[in-house]
Parts: sequence; structure tokens; C-alpha cells
Amino acid sequence: MATIRNEIRRLRFEHGEMTQQELADKIKVTRQTVNAIELGKYFPSLEAAFRIAAVFSKPLESVFHYSDEDDAH
Amino acid sequence: MSFREKTAWISLISMAGIYGLYFWPLMRAGAKRSNTGGLLGTVIALIIVQIVLTIAVAVFDPKNAQAPRDEREKLIELKASRFAYSGLATGIAFAVFFAALPSPIIFGANSLLFILVVCELMRSSSQIIQYRRSA
Repeated sequence: MATIRNEIRRLRFEHGEMTQQELADKIKVTRQTVNAIELGKYFPSLEAAFRIAAVFSKPLESVFHYSDEDDAH
Repeated sequence: MSFREKTAWISLISMAGIYGLYFWPLMRAGAKRSNTGGLLGTVIALIIVQIVLTIAVAVFDPKNAQAPRDEREKLIELKASRFAYSGLATGIAFAVFFAALPSPIIFGANSLLFILVVCELMRSSSQIIQYRRSA
């Protein structure tokens, strides 16, 4: 089963201890959505993922990590 | 709790409570009598309660109340509507079946209203469950 991990929580703290609400305001979603993304309970759209990466000035692959366990076999 | 989740709770509780007060006497009486005045009052009461509660929630969270739905909220709403539609289709199928049986016309009208209310409760419940799972 495919999973997408992210580094959002760590990047928030590295960028002046940005709060979830501040990140939510920058990418135009609710704070609850940011929380769901961080916890891996919601996978953002491509647009939202690019916006998040742009906030931290990081490439997409540095923020989100895709893994498909079936590829390992 | 987000503003959208709060409105889903308002919808669920107000509809269950107010329509429960409408349907309970009807079920006990066997839907043998008309209650047009009661239905009108029920609808008006529901509208007023939902407007008042939604405004009260919006007053304490104006920023999120005015913000458009984000992608996650839109997805939750779509999934909830799809779930409710399946209930609506099933309910209507049962209503059509029982319409073939001899029954008072008001029973048919109330059964359709009951199906609609149940589907709205399904929609609100589905939204709340999805919000809670992703919290």
C-alpha cells in the first residue's frame, strides 16, 4: 500500500517555529487540514503540496516522500 | 474543531431533535392522521434553529466562517453526499414498493419526508466521522 510521509512539522519549526495556523494561512487551507496532512491522515493535492514546498523554499521531494511497499518486492 | 465540522454537528443535532419531535407522535399514531400544521411548524423551527446556531458559531470564528471550503472540506462533503445518495436511492426504492400497497396518501408523503431526513442525517454523520478521523 502506498504511503506519503512528510517533513512539514520539522520544517515548520526550522522556519521560525511557524505555527500550523500560519502555514494554513499561507497555503489557503484550514489549520485542521494542515494538521491532517502532517499526521498523514490526508494527502494534499498536487497544488497544495507545491504551495507547501514553496513556503519552505524546498523542492517537493524534500518535503514529501512517497513509498510503495509493493515496489520492494 | 473547524467551522464546517461545527455546522455539520448543528445540522445533525437540530434535524434529529426537531424532526424526531415531528415523527415520534406520527409513528405512535400509525400515521393515520394528517399533520400539515405540525410539518410547517417543524420546518420553520428547524430553519430558525439552524440559522441562529450557525450565526452564533460564526460570531466566535468569523475568519473561518467567511473562508471558502478548502480541498479537504470539499472532498469530505463530496464523500458524504455520495453516501447519503445511496441511502436516498435505497429509501426511494422501498417507498415505491410500499406505495403499491393500500395506504393513506399522507403516509406516502411522510415516508418520503422521513427518507429525506434520514439521508440528511446520513450526510451530516458522514461528514462528522470523516472530520473526526482526520483530526
